[in-house]
Amino acid sequence: MPDETTTDSTTAPVGVTQEPEHHQRNEALAFAIGAAGWLVPGLGHALQKMWGRALGCFLTVGALVILGVGMRGNVFSSEGGDAFGMLGYLADLGTGSFYFAARALEPQGSDVAHAEGDYGTRFLAAAGVLNLLAALHAYEAARGRKA
Amino acid sequence: MIAAVGFSLSHFQAMTLFALLISIAFGFLSRRRTNERVKYIIWSLFLFLLIGVGIGWAMYPFSR
Repeated sequence: MPDETTTDSTTAPVGVTQEPEHHQRNEALAFAIGAAGWLVPGLGHALQKMWGRALGCFLTVGALVILGVGMRGNVFSSEGGDAFGMLGYLADLGTGSFYFAARALEPQGSDVAHAEGDYGTRFLAAAGVLNLLAALHAYEAARGRKA
Repeated sequence: MIAAVGFSLSHFQAMTLFALLISIAFGFLSRRRTNERVKYIIWSLFLFLLIGVGIGWAMYPFSR
């Protein structure tokens, strides 16, 4: 009597042998959707036809960035120097393309000497972290997890 | 451009705007149905403000 627990790849059904390749393709697609969601807030959801979530992400992240820049918050650069500067840079970079828009919209630089500038810095960092969360959500949804 | 125009917000206005935007984003990400989203956004906004004002008052005795 053949052992059912051991399956030779040559005798396995066609669907079983193709599954890893299919899975790999889905994983790559999910990663691309996640990356798109990071690059343009809401795009990861828009590609999956989740229009409400796409619009919600785009508008909230965009509003946080505009408010942060308007309050003259600090848009960190890669030359931050210390660990906090690097953390701020990573958080700001989370907004994807909006990071470069924020830098372009703030030619006079930040003004964190006032409370408003300090709040603006938090708004920008929150926008980045929120967008990373949204991109992760889009990635998980593309992988087929309940979203 | 926008920075040249600038936004002048009080502490409370900044906190409320922040709480509103984050609540909307969380509501859209975590709930599917519109009525569930609205409920979540209102509840989340209320808790944000309650906890924010609460922490503000808790720090008040040490501010002077």
